[in-house]
Amino acid sequence: MDEISLDPELLRRYDRPGPCYASYPTTPHFTDSFGEAEFRRYALGSNAEPIPRQLSLYLHVPDCFSSGAYVERLVREIETVAKLFDRDRDVIQLHLGGGAPNFPGAAEVNELISSLGRQFHFSTSSTRDFSIDLDPRVIRPGDVAACAALGFNRASLAIRNFDPEVRCAVNDEQSVDQTMQVIADCRDSGFRSVNVDLVYGLPRQTLAGFGHTLEAILEARPDRVATYGYAHLPEVLEAQRRSRAIELPDAETRIGLLCLAIERLSAAGYRYIGMDQFALPGDDLVRAREAGRLQRNFMGYTTHADSDLIGLGVSAMSHVGDSYSQNPPDLAAWEAAVDQGRLPVWRGIELDGDDVLRADAIQELMCRGEVDIAGFEYRHRVDFPAYFADTLEGLQPLVANGLVRIDRDVIAATSHGRLLLRIIAMCFDRYLTSSQTGARTRYSRVI
Amino acid sequence: MDAGTSHRPQPIADDGDDFNFCSTCAFSAACLKHGYDKGQLRELHVLVEHTEPYHEGEYIFREGDRFEAIAAVRSGTVKTFVNDIEGREQVQGFFLPGEVIGLSGISEARYPSNAIALESVVLCRFSFSSMAMLATRMPGLQQQLFRLLSQDINKAALLAGNYSADERMAAFLVSLSRRYAARGFSPNRFRLTMTRTDIANYLRLAAESVSRGLRRLQDDGLIRVDRRDIELVDRPALESLARTILRD
Repeated sequence: MDEISLDPELLRRYDRPGPCYASYPTTPHFTDSFGEAEFRRYALGSNAEPIPRQLSLYLHVPDCFSSGAYVERLVREIETVAKLFDRDRDVIQLHLGGGAPNFPGAAEVNELISSLGRQFHFSTSSTRDFSIDLDPRVIRPGDVAACAALGFNRASLAIRNFDPEVRCAVNDEQSVDQTMQVIADCRDSGFRSVNVDLVYGLPRQTLAGFGHTLEAILEARPDRVATYGYAHLPEVLEAQRRSRAIELPDAETRIGLLCLAIERLSAAGYRYIGMDQFALPGDDLVRAREAGRLQRNFMGYTTHADSDLIGLGVSAMSHVGDSYSQNPPDLAAWEAAVDQGRLPVWRGIELDGDDVLRADAIQELMCRGEVDIAGFEYRHRVDFPAYFADTLEGLQPLVANGLVRIDRDVIAATSHGRLLLRIIAMCFDRYLTSSQTGARTRYSRVI
Repeated sequence: MDAGTSHRPQPIADDGDDFNFCSTCAFSAACLKHGYDKGQLRELHVLVEHTEPYHEGEYIFREGDRFEAIAAVRSGTVKTFVNDIEGREQVQGFFLPGEVIGLSGISEARYPSNAIALESVVLCRFSFSSMAMLATRMPGLQQQLFRLLSQDINKAALLAGNYSADERMAAFLVSLSRRYAARGFSPNRFRLTMTRTDIANYLRLAAESVSRGLRRLQDDGLIRVDRRDIELVDRPALESLARTILRD
């Protein structure tokens, strides 16, 4: 397996906005012609498969969550949606959280899990992944143990920075001690793995300060670390309006921060999974990657993406059969739909034959760093070089720059290209080349 | 079209003309074997009417409808079923390209069951009275009609015995495989166009048992299942499991 090699010059050249391919087609191509009726049709179709897939549930708890009213509505949505899926379809994956670190409170989590347990059948397999986002700032003693008792076995913590200068700039109060305590609690409660989301490119973040943060984190040795570039989109994300764009590190510093993170993580024995994700050798993700079983969905890298994903809550994404869909990101719209007993489907897309092919190629790239041409041709019964002639041509500059290797059997990201998988995947994206929406679509930067 | 079956080509017969049958035609082999001349073949062909496509879920005939025609499936899958006295559906059979529906209507002059399109379906319809008339002059055609009739009866009896879920599942897959192979399609890779509930109903199993049975066959390395696509990996093992039911 190729390891990664850092080349700041290449990173600099390819540092541009691009989709992260949690889905293909990507969300900007979802339309409101996909609604409640379409979701029902796909749910029924998914039950009709000879071996219906297992289920993944994603419960979105929004950023500025405060009231029990949200949990009450979520329970209502669970009851409405669950009826569409056959009861013998086990829940193999569950994630409770949001875009930002959060924790709704032990009592609320209990209520949600009880409701899910009444409507769905939880898998009893040892490989099931039930994960929860924990915000060290609001976790109280006993919360982590309570989550473990409810069946959670994975936790994810976001660490902005332990540098007080940065914390002040992003209105964040998170101390090293709080975070270490939560990681320790997870271990004591028997969680199988703890993930830490590490954000770089924050306002006022410096190499020295970030170095301290990395040091502190690596001391706790979380099983997984994800390094996210801070996406400053204040026009989209309300909470960011209080921090000022002018204080953001420049592109050069961002690349420096990322390189620092990668160097430190590699030196500490972490393996690169893909995109932003690193993990320790014993972790399920590393094993899955080595066995070629790694997958990726809206929740990130996983070993359970061959399930149908049901998103619940405001803005949540679903992936049922060959369809993607999303709930409204607007709280009032979601509330109104749930209150009327409707499925709160806002928009979505039905994949056509071409979408399915390209989604598979992109998934292979994201999860294995390569597309095995013979396997692909066998699965889809297509002549790969003929079908993807344009794509192969589009990849030539990347080949010339040493990001990609193409031969008869395989299209593979090189050790340089593995940090730029999005750039390679973009060559398979029909919507980017043919798109008129490109100019209006806001993607975060690749680096 | 049903979610999950919206892409990947389905088997479809090529078009026939005045002298050549569609390659899947239920009658072609019999007639060619008897060496009918062009004139006789034309007589048979003028009886044929290629229908407009039926959409998924559309009825082709209903129980009690007057029997007028039999039809060969050109593309798609047709399900036949009756409703029992409590209104519960009982699936009687699935008909693949090249197979003939409506034969059970001959004796009573009414269709004794419903036929529904499971996906987009095109038929070659034959007026039965004209065909019967022609059959008196074409012994090959008559024999073929009798053969089809007896197959229809045997098929219904196949799964009535006291067989295990795995035997039923294996027999079902082997039967589909043989039938696809007989029409020139791949015997080892095909798509299950019927829902899990329909399969369960046909095999007199619970839906969960169908999935469990398939999973077992997959775990034992006999088949691979990817969504609705089935691949027979170890045919001999499947055939041997199915032997008690299928015999030959």
